[in-house]
Amino acid sequence: MTYYLTTVLVYAAVDILACLAISLQFGVSGIVNFSFIIFQAAGAYTAGVLSLPKDTANGGFQTYILGLNLSFPLPWIGATLVGALLAPPIGLVVLRRLRSDYQAIAMLVLSVIASLVVTNTPAFLDGAAGLALVPQPLSDKFNAYSDGYQWAYTIGSLLLAVIVFFIVQRLINSPYGRSLRAMRENEVAANALGKNAVAMKMTVFVVGGAIAGLSGAILVGFITTWAPSTWLYPETLILFAAVIVGGRGNNYGAVLGALLVPVGFEEATRYLPPFGPPGLIPALEWVCIGGLILGFLWFRPRGVLPERRRVFAARPNPVEVGEQHAGGN
Amino acid sequence: MPVETDAVAATPAAAQQPLSQRPLLVATHVSRHFDGVRAVEDVSIDVLPGRITGLIGPNGAGKSTFLAVLAGTLPASSGTITFDGHDVTSLPAFRRARRGLVRTFQLPSEFAQLTVLENLLAAAPHNRGDSLVGALLGKRYWRADEDRLVAEARALLDRFRMTAKESDYASSLSGGQKRLVEIMRALMLQPRLLLLDEPMSGVHPSIIGEIADYCEALRDDGLTILIVEHELHMIERMCDPVIVMAQGSVIGQGTMAALRQQREIVDAYLVG
Repeated sequence: MTYYLTTVLVYAAVDILACLAISLQFGVSGIVNFSFIIFQAAGAYTAGVLSLPKDTANGGFQTYILGLNLSFPLPWIGATLVGALLAPPIGLVVLRRLRSDYQAIAMLVLSVIASLVVTNTPAFLDGAAGLALVPQPLSDKFNAYSDGYQWAYTIGSLLLAVIVFFIVQRLINSPYGRSLRAMRENEVAANALGKNAVAMKMTVFVVGGAIAGLSGAILVGFITTWAPSTWLYPETLILFAAVIVGGRGNNYGAVLGALLVPVGFEEATRYLPPFGPPGLIPALEWVCIGGLILGFLWFRPRGVLPERRRVFAARPNPVEVGEQHAGGN
Repeated sequence: MPVETDAVAATPAAAQQPLSQRPLLVATHVSRHFDGVRAVEDVSIDVLPGRITGLIGPNGAGKSTFLAVLAGTLPASSGTITFDGHDVTSLPAFRRARRGLVRTFQLPSEFAQLTVLENLLAAAPHNRGDSLVGALLGKRYWRADEDRLVAEARALLDRFRMTAKESDYASSLSGGQKRLVEIMRALMLQPRLLLLDEPMSGVHPSIIGEIADYCEALRDDGLTILIVEHELHMIERMCDPVIVMAQGSVIGQGTMAALRQQREIVDAYLVG
């Protein structure tokens, strides 16, 4: 039971982090980052190769670069940095010149290319087989199989999710967050009002990349394996579905979406009695995810918890409001 | 005050003029082509400070494209643009805006899911919280700037009689109110030259006159305005001088009264 609960909660923390990053990029800033999963994967691989020993150390059954055998928290810090540093090269190619719809297509394609490259270059990150036996943080000092360790890992993961929540909250409730929302609403107009939209998009891309990298590190530290099959591009779509369902641009909505879609949805289907041919239930999950996105975009496009209206404190010395402009055109 | 038809001075002479009459903006041989389509072709104008300069012409004349090139929304294919004595031709739109060259748009471009007050605040410069680091440092770091700018924005709302709409989403406003929000938003940058692209189009007639009133009041406060507009009676009332464009080029400039005397301009645009 401990294993089940801690697994669900760690996945919840990882998905909350991912949804917060997507909400910041997509919900607040209007960047449709369909390559999001690349950043999470980069973080996971980085944490893996930084914490694993040299690939020759365990009989050479897997091949990968680095293998620095670093102690916690360096692999997680490295993962966060790589997630952030991956953003500028992708951003410079995609965000500077392309319109937002083409940006989305380019990033989706990038996601597919990245998966194929990693799969077909075994010497880089062990190809399709992926990394295995990734050491868990501080497993040299504690028994990683004990309940205590599992719970400590879970609480640590949730704590990081809470810290990131407050950081993103601080960001979007600031004047900078307002500028990001203005850019989302009309990038050309924001530019004409003195906002450097490219720089703002790059910044958000880097921040989101860092959060994604951290989420990958947390996940690989828990499940100890990471392979291309875990970060196929549809994973990004599930996270987008979560943010759309929860409420774009609202951090509480992102958390709710993370709990409802990637966590709740997957767990709910686990208890369905088996029916139909093998693979039918997972296939139906995808149908339901697609239906969920369409349904919400159609009937409740702003999600369960919509972005809240920012109302400012009343004037210290209220003025009498005289004749105002009528509502006609 | 009537002016002569040569009120729009030639660029080389600008440096010789007294400071008050030195052009705030000088466009020299500006062109903008789209894959062979010459939307703007070899346009040279000066915009004198403290006046409302009108830019008129038939649909497709290149007025909005020219305005976009002046503001940096579109790069010029050739030519130079000098603003306040500095060559801004290669500057992107956001840098020109920060120097005081601010535009509005032909189509409503409000930030729809921001409130009216937020629309104004989003445009305000000099807020310490308007950067990643400033935002992360927290409210204490930027609250003073925010309070000051909220007060400035509310003063503008009072002036434009939009106070009651402060907390409404901009998307819920009427066409005329959206135009006013755009103008107020631009004013938050404390521009030196305001480029207005058809601010009266799609607006209720009762608000058209008010927009003209606001423009004149802003001019009287010292703001320079270049306005693209089809409401010719308002152009005649406000603008001095008026520039006429057709097929991407300037075909005349002067007062409306003088322009009405020029047959080719009447034929090209001022019919009726």
